[in-house]
Amino acid sequence: MSARAPHVVPLRRLLWVLAALLALLAASAGSALLRLGPWNTVLNLGISVTKTLLVMAVFMHETEARALTRLVSALGFIWLGMLVALTLLDELTRAATPAPW
Amino acid sequence: MSAAPALLEEQFDDPVQQREAATLGMWVFLATEILFFGVLFASYTVCRVLYPQGFAAASRRTDMLLGTLETAVLLTSSALVALALRAIKLDERRSAVLLLAGTAALGASFLIMHGFEYYSEYTEHLVPGVDFLQHGPQAHAVELFFCLYYFITGFHSLHVLIGVAIMTVLSARTAGGSFGPQRYTTCELAALYWHLVDIVWIFVYPLIYLVGRAA
Repeated sequence: MSARAPHVVPLRRLLWVLAALLALLAASAGSALLRLGPWNTVLNLGISVTKTLLVMAVFMHETEARALTRLVSALGFIWLGMLVALTLLDELTRAATPAPW
Repeated sequence: MSAAPALLEEQFDDPVQQREAATLGMWVFLATEILFFGVLFASYTVCRVLYPQGFAAASRRTDMLLGTLETAVLLTSSALVALALRAIKLDERRSAVLLLAGTAALGASFLIMHGFEYYSEYTEHLVPGVDFLQHGPQAHAVELFFCLYYFITGFHSLHVLIGVAIMTVLSARTAGGSFGPQRYTTCELAALYWHLVDIVWIFVYPLIYLVGRAA
């Protein structure tokens, strides 16, 4: 068992991911200069999520990881989503109630 | 020494199970890191929803060119550490040492670029609590933005600094023959940490540097 050869990511795949990450960086910098209104933010966060998935899938070997590891790695982001969503829910729906006195 | 045997702790059946347990533990730690930065990102979201124009005005005061360059440097360093891990697994010790040292060097250059950014913001009186002299209707929101900016980028830079130290030590230890195809878990965990620091920056970049650039 200890003599088993470790899993190795192909060199080409690592280099392609780096090229894709740099291309996505150029896309987010370029698109930020276009007048897209709220879509600037949507596009830039979408690009960030894509970059993150690339890094996690290939650099962090998530595609080869077993289900439990993948689940735990997703959990951090799920909790973050809940944190931001619930905070915003409170902030956006709370009506300002002036003190009656 | 490159064929250093895998040390198996008695509670594990085999090296594969031991390595999977270590990776799982690292991801639990990384989840706490995500939430550590998550609190800062949540505060950012609330403030930006409350003061959209102020945050756009403040973001335009940051250095987009340096920010983009820093992002490219971190993305490249992430690729280098992935290549280093690959080299260790393939028993290519020399290239692994160089790649780990390269990762540390890119991390250090990131910190230097950030230092220049902090200095130019200091000269522009954009440091809340230390030297903040902005006027106009958005001044309060700009102050909030830069407060969050220093907390987010400051803690991120601290993580990069720790990462640079880890990569330097690992480079030296790889040169000394501590790691090889049968023993690379330490390097794998350090690589996961470095990638997460990179992911945090992937989100910092559009939220800090790219708001309101088209206006």
